[in-house]
Amino acid sequence: MRNCWMGSILVVAGSLSSPLVLCAQESASAKAQSSTPDLSGVWNKKNMPGTRYGGYTFSAEEPSMTPWAQERFKANKPSFGPRSVEDSNDPVNPTTISATGCFPPGVPRVYLHPFPLEIVQSPGRVLMIFEFDHYIRQIWTDGRPHDTSLGPTWFGDSIGHWEGGTLVVDTIGFNDKTWLDRGGHPHSEDLHVVERMRRVDAKTLQIDVNIDDPKAYIKPWGGRMMFDIHPNWHISEMICEDNVNFDEFLKNEKPKK
Amino acid sequence: MKNRLMLLTVAASVLLVPSLMLAHHGQAAYDVTQSVTIKGTVSNFKFTNPHCIVSLDVKDEKGEKQPWQGELTSPNHLVRVGWTGQTLKPGDDVTLTGFRAKTGVNSMWITKVVLGNGEEMKTGGGN
Repeated sequence: MRNCWMGSILVVAGSLSSPLVLCAQESASAKAQSSTPDLSGVWNKKNMPGTRYGGYTFSAEEPSMTPWAQERFKANKPSFGPRSVEDSNDPVNPTTISATGCFPPGVPRVYLHPFPLEIVQSPGRVLMIFEFDHYIRQIWTDGRPHDTSLGPTWFGDSIGHWEGGTLVVDTIGFNDKTWLDRGGHPHSEDLHVVERMRRVDAKTLQIDVNIDDPKAYIKPWGGRMMFDIHPNWHISEMICEDNVNFDEFLKNEKPKK
Repeated sequence: MKNRLMLLTVAASVLLVPSLMLAHHGQAAYDVTQSVTIKGTVSNFKFTNPHCIVSLDVKDEKGEKQPWQGELTSPNHLVRVGWTGQTLKPGDDVTLTGFRAKTGVNSMWITKVVLGNGEEMKTGGGN
């Protein structure tokens, strides 16, 4: 509206531009920007009925693994879920002081750590800021191709495009040092994750995760996650290494005989 | 005979002192089918990740103090439902309800907190 008024003033001052043309151009530009769906906000994953697995994995059904993956699955000892054990070797949350922890959770595991995330959108890029250990994902939406020049990384390389109201995020270039989830499902460097993110309504975000890794899984698998918006929250500090300090605290709190 | 009895009682008390067995373990160490409620006096409140810890003394039927510990979720979640690091202080009365540790030690995963003034505090989301 302001720009239309400015156009009118210029005409009065003797400008060659007609106010109607200027207004139309500004509206078209504004419309183009406003037509990009808005996923921004601080979101927290819901516990949906019938999804008790949601604390540690993405699907109620156990995915069919190749022999390569089965061997690694057996060696992975989680601290969460139905296979959890006391002497976990989980790279993020081990349960023994001797095991090193707090390695990056990677994608899509990062969604399973129960802390909110914030989506920040700017032209050409969508940022996902995770409260869990302050990880940030960059999803390039400016049409660039994948860039794996850095070699395999913990969070891979993400590019996205819009299909109507859905942001389709394509991620490759992972190293194989992470678990797919907190239940210990392994993956290879061939992992290809596709996420479909859309705002179901003003207060609800839906993210469908598809995990494709033929070296590890007979067929793709994954699941749906739902998130509530929290306009009054902000992302706070949460440092994974405090978990390690917690172990020390527990050790010191035990009664000395 | 009296000394031996005292020795046995002391040994038993040491065994019953709470210890949170697993480190960052979620709720696997607790019996979610068994809920207990205790009332006591706060001796310590650790407001830190991954889980906040309430330490308190509870009088048993003999009137003797028994130490207990209760776990709460991350402070990141608790502040979002009204907590601060000073919500509980040493000397405060508190009533806690929660799932008892499977081994039977004086330890729980807290599901309900009622302060000394009768105010109930939300315990946030689970972990």
